[in-house]
Amino acid sequence: MINSEEFTAMHWLMDIVQNVDAGLLVLNREYEIEAWNGFMENHSGLMAEQVRGKNIFNVFPEIDKKWFLQKAEPVFILNNRAFTTWEQHTKLFHFKNYHPITGIVDYMYQNITISPIKSVRGVTDKISIIVYDVTTVAVNKLLLAEANQKLERLAQRDSLSGLNNRRHWETLIENEFLRCKRSKINASLLIIDIDDFKQINDNFGHSCGDSVIRDVSNQIRSCQRETDYSGRYGGEEFAIILPDTSVQQALNLAERLRKQIEEQSFMINGEQQSVTISLGLAEFNPEFKDHIEWINAADSAMYESKKQGKNKVTINKQQNS
Amino acid sequence: MSTSELSEDYRDCFQEITNVAMGQAADKLARFLDVFILLPVPNVNMLQPSELAMALSAVNHDESVSAVCQGFIGSGIAGEAMLIFNDSTFQEIADLMNADSDDSNQLELEILMDTANILIGTFLTGLAEQLEVRYSLGQPSVLGRHVNIEDLIKINEKRWKQTLAIEINYKIEGSNINCDLLILFTDDSLNILKQKADYLLE
Repeated sequence: MINSEEFTAMHWLMDIVQNVDAGLLVLNREYEIEAWNGFMENHSGLMAEQVRGKNIFNVFPEIDKKWFLQKAEPVFILNNRAFTTWEQHTKLFHFKNYHPITGIVDYMYQNITISPIKSVRGVTDKISIIVYDVTTVAVNKLLLAEANQKLERLAQRDSLSGLNNRRHWETLIENEFLRCKRSKINASLLIIDIDDFKQINDNFGHSCGDSVIRDVSNQIRSCQRETDYSGRYGGEEFAIILPDTSVQQALNLAERLRKQIEEQSFMINGEQQSVTISLGLAEFNPEFKDHIEWINAADSAMYESKKQGKNKVTINKQQNS
Repeated sequence: MSTSELSEDYRDCFQEITNVAMGQAADKLARFLDVFILLPVPNVNMLQPSELAMALSAVNHDESVSAVCQGFIGSGIAGEAMLIFNDSTFQEIADLMNADSDDSNQLELEILMDTANILIGTFLTGLAEQLEVRYSLGQPSVLGRHVNIEDLIKINEKRWKQTLAIEINYKIEGSNINCDLLILFTDDSLNILKQKADYLLE
């Protein structure tokens, strides 16, 4: 027999279980609800008397049954506790966020712990489920990830041109170089330099120079394909990586870009001015030691264009056969 | 007594305890996946952070890995259990679990957590039973996904100097599935562990 002291202790223990700010419920082998604490009552709007003895999937049709069984069955069979996080499955029960006014999500993110309960015969015939409200942690983590992504984008971008900055572009070409080397596929590299940029800066001022850079960058963006990577490589120097593209195919794009810039009139100090670019092209060559050699090959082709009178596309001469 | 030394007696004792606990864990995983699990001899060592990555035998250092870790504390013993997978093994495990999903990212996470629940949970229960201690288990968390093994373990390098590490390399027969279960104890757990081992050694 339980004496009165033990009875009192059990009473306040039950009281704590009833009032603890985490969901507690017990399911039997048929997934019928056997216990249901205050947290579950308040968040679901269903009292213990209303749900006791009922199958949980009937009471809560929104529960992803297949997923939940995959987690709960091993607890019965292996007699082993199982944990799930909101990162796997944001919520088991569709409960409202505790902060319906100030919160930024509508529902409660939940971590779940499923533990076996052994019968007196030593068989696991019930499971207990604890539902933790982790909305705050989850939302913070999601916001942090979003902020990091934004920062990463900012760190990779050149603010004037809006293209990839040099540092990020260099990691892109390094990756492309390794990809070509590994899978023996083709790619071309195009380097672009604005002709007589120093004179634009000297004669009209740096703000005019900046606006020329912006206009040329816009043209580059409009010419390149989805899969190409463009970047601002130096002051007035740009580069585009063209994956899976032969140098002859790349020549079409380079010529188109050269013509577009030549034909566009740039407004400089209220006057129409023309700007031209010199371009150099180099196809990936398996003999390149590293991506620097590839850049150098395209660069020397670009200088060849300058030497030949500018406003011109040149293919690296080792490859122009 | 310096905690950095681990006498042969203690090592043997921890190894024996590990053998039993990892056997129980392997048995449950085998039943869950319906496969035969190959059990190696566990490694029990005092390790420094710099040695940890090298100690992981299942991990292919050229490849990216994913890991879950779960903390435990109680009876004066505290530590973390880590389960580390080579990313290339996920598909094979998914096939064994008959799990499929359009979202491979989601699928990997489920596999990682399900396997961690079984291996870590059972191993720590087995360990506690033998040492006659009780501890609480924290919520498992994903330590890293698709990362380099060195980056994974480097995270807290500054905070700990050395640790008792138990490394178990589980393999599934007839497949390339291979994962590492790593149990790391805090410095101050070691004395309690030795005391418990003394009872067993007597």
